[in-house]
Amino acid sequence: MQEKDKTRRKVLIGLTSAVGLSGLPFAATPFIAAWNPSAKAKAAGAAVKLDVSKMQYGQQIQVSWRKQPVFIVRHTEESIASLDLALPKLADPNSDQIEEPYRGLNPSRSKSPEYSVFSGVCTHLGCAPKYFPEIEPKPWDATWNGGFFCPCHGSMFDIVGRVFKGVPAPTNLIVPPHMFDGSILTIGEDKEL
Amino acid sequence: MTEIAGKLFTWINTRLPIVNTFERHLSKHPVPSKVNFWYLFGALAAVTLIIQIVTGIWLIMPYSNTEEQAFSSIEYIMRDVDYGWIIRYMHTTGASLFFAVVYLHMFRGLLYGSYQKPKELVWIFGCTIYLAMMAEGFLGYVLPYGQMSYWGAQVIISLFGAIPYIGESLELWVRGDYYISGITVSRFFALHVVALPLVLIALVFLHLVALHEVGAGNPEGVDIEEHLDEDGVPLDSVPFFPYKVLNALVAIGVFMTVFSIIMFFFPEGGGYFIEMANFQEANPLVTPDHIAPVWYYAPFYTMLRAIPDPLGGLIVMASAVAIFFIVPWLDRSKVASIRYKGIYSKIAITMFGVSFLTLGYLGTVGVTEVRKTMSVICTIIYFAYFLLMPIYTKYEITKEVPERL
Amino acid sequence: MISLPRYFQSITKSIALFILLVSFNKLFAAEGGPCKDYGECDKFQYSLNDIESLQRGASTYINYCYGCHSLKYSRWGRVAKDLQIPEDIFFENLVFDKSIKPGDLMIGAMPEDSANWFGVEPPDLTLVSRYKGDDWIYSYLRAYYEDSSKQYGVNNLVYPGTAMPNVLISLQGNQRLVCKDVPVLARNGGEKRDDFGNTIFKEKCGFLEVQDGTGILSREEFDTLIYDLTNFLVYVGEPSKATRERIGWYVVFYFLIFTALSSLLYREYHKDYNK
Repeated sequence: MQEKDKTRRKVLIGLTSAVGLSGLPFAATPFIAAWNPSAKAKAAGAAVKLDVSKMQYGQQIQVSWRKQPVFIVRHTEESIASLDLALPKLADPNSDQIEEPYRGLNPSRSKSPEYSVFSGVCTHLGCAPKYFPEIEPKPWDATWNGGFFCPCHGSMFDIVGRVFKGVPAPTNLIVPPHMFDGSILTIGEDKEL
Repeated sequence: MTEIAGKLFTWINTRLPIVNTFERHLSKHPVPSKVNFWYLFGALAAVTLIIQIVTGIWLIMPYSNTEEQAFSSIEYIMRDVDYGWIIRYMHTTGASLFFAVVYLHMFRGLLYGSYQKPKELVWIFGCTIYLAMMAEGFLGYVLPYGQMSYWGAQVIISLFGAIPYIGESLELWVRGDYYISGITVSRFFALHVVALPLVLIALVFLHLVALHEVGAGNPEGVDIEEHLDEDGVPLDSVPFFPYKVLNALVAIGVFMTVFSIIMFFFPEGGGYFIEMANFQEANPLVTPDHIAPVWYYAPFYTMLRAIPDPLGGLIVMASAVAIFFIVPWLDRSKVASIRYKGIYSKIAITMFGVSFLTLGYLGTVGVTEVRKTMSVICTIIYFAYFLLMPIYTKYEITKEVPERL
Repeated sequence: MISLPRYFQSITKSIALFILLVSFNKLFAAEGGPCKDYGECDKFQYSLNDIESLQRGASTYINYCYGCHSLKYSRWGRVAKDLQIPEDIFFENLVFDKSIKPGDLMIGAMPEDSANWFGVEPPDLTLVSRYKGDDWIYSYLRAYYEDSSKQYGVNNLVYPGTAMPNVLISLQGNQRLVCKDVPVLARNGGEKRDDFGNTIFKEKCGFLEVQDGTGILSREEFDTLIYDLTNFLVYVGEPSKATRERIGWYVVFYFLIFTALSSLLYREYHKDYNK
């Protein structure tokens, strides 16, 4: 075979394989994209709206967003003021270890000074922590100042969902994107974010 | 690192014949050095089968096999699933083109005698693949649960009713309900996505194993095994890699161009690939004006309609497919290829081709008097091609086949 | 390997067969088109890249049709996005039920017992362009005429006995079937003339004519309205259609390049055994 032919073959092999291989990512695209949440799943997971003005002070309610519990707590002025009492117990009071959407905005960690909005899924193994607002000694903490206790593995959080030191849960409860339009709370969407 | 990999490979290879199998069946497998484009449709059929399996797996995920949701889940795929429409159109276009290449592949067999001794088993496995494909295609067409799915299935399942004595109970047993309901759809679904694909893959495997045992044919009908070089490799052969692979690559390129033109610009294939009535949800109370099968069943559907008696129609239709199986014993010719066969064979295969296409056309349009006569004539020609084969192949004057390719 | 003459031979054969089949088609053709008695439907050519036409069509649909005909496989937000209408403007002007969210399906605004109003339940129209065809819709909506024997005083040339009243009558005006004197055509296609060179006329019926001054829109304006509406229904029938046709060019182009390269490569290797 002539030298010229050899180069021609090499060039053609290179070109054909390059073109052939470059098509693969495009061919794979529909199959990968088809596993994204569909329009139906997105519609079902759309933001939820609710009126929180009817909530009582100190009350905690649970709403479902994307089939996950989200906790909303309406704080009294006193409970907000007493947040600092728990500071020595907290592992990460400023939420430095997680993505915190509204860091430093309000002590409540949300967009409203009065309400806290955070996910009701324990960051340890996914149980739902329970709300114990009373300020009284508890079997799990003699100096309990109100907050969330997870019955599964004993993780503790304060009333704005910040995790205690020395418990199994590694981080604070996650704050989802949300916004307030007067007393209408939208969870799952924030036009300013 | 490469040393460890090499050792690992040797370890496996001494226990599993990787290199041997690869060389024997792929890289060094000898194929005839001179074939024409007719010999490429087998490779294309394999490509299409792979496309159907992959897209099929992806369609199972969002599809819902219930009576209430089957139809809307197709629209869900077409609208709500990201790129779902590409995957679905690949599957529908693939189905039609699978049949197209298989029909051409089969016609190649008839043209060049690819069923003659010792290739009878290759041919029979092939015919069985075709039979399984017909079932697979039918079952798949019912799944969207549109009007044509429903009424097409109604017609086909009613065929069972034509069988004497057991017909009616058989019909009921197949449906599992008093009409084609979600119960029917979900059993068809199981057969379409699990049972028949397994059968198809097994048959394709057997088809290829048998083919590699006896060797691929060529348009001259020359036995290349007659002239071997000192290593026992046929002189008129080339190794599968790279020659045949490159040839197939060109064919795949052309095929995929046609595939994408249809899929992106004419996915309904003018109503022949996806029928218009199938965009309406199945309604057991309203029959569409005109029930036509998908094009690939059309020739057989015409035969069914040509015979007034349902049982007779069923027998004729079944025989039309079954007769392919005995072709190896119908052909009495000394030569394999149409190039060396006599004038009768040439006339016969031309008439067969024309009548098959005409039957196909007639199956997609409504019935008139003229068309009915045409379909009877074409059915007769179709069967005459096979049934007279022992006579015209035996007594015609054939040409001398050359020694070498 | 592929000897050209033989290759061409088979192509010629296939073409001959194709012509044969087409001529069969002509020979045995007896069925009417989808427009039945009306004869040939008026041709419709969609233009899915004409976003303004689609927007006008969507607006007409929601104002005049959506009250009875749902689009239950389609989602509000998707229509807004595909038609490039900002969501707030879309929801303010075209979505009358304020509880509807963008991800919701367009399931219609009809109460449950609506079937009784018209004798049949108004069908969902998401896929109407796919099972009836765009030509049919375009012809049908323009083929209503006055017919006092019918329940709603109208009938339709494309779909005789249709259960739907002519919702757009205030726009189109009152259309009637009229007879006209038309020139008789000669064999060669020209007008037939008598011995004095005057054109021969003959009365022919079945023409649609709108009574002057009964409709808000002119004939052209009304045709445009129906064009946009049909165009929108083509879009709703397959929202990915425009994308499909756009991507298609790239894919076809890709495979043409691939085919060209691989055939060059094949020819190169072909030299090895076929000198």
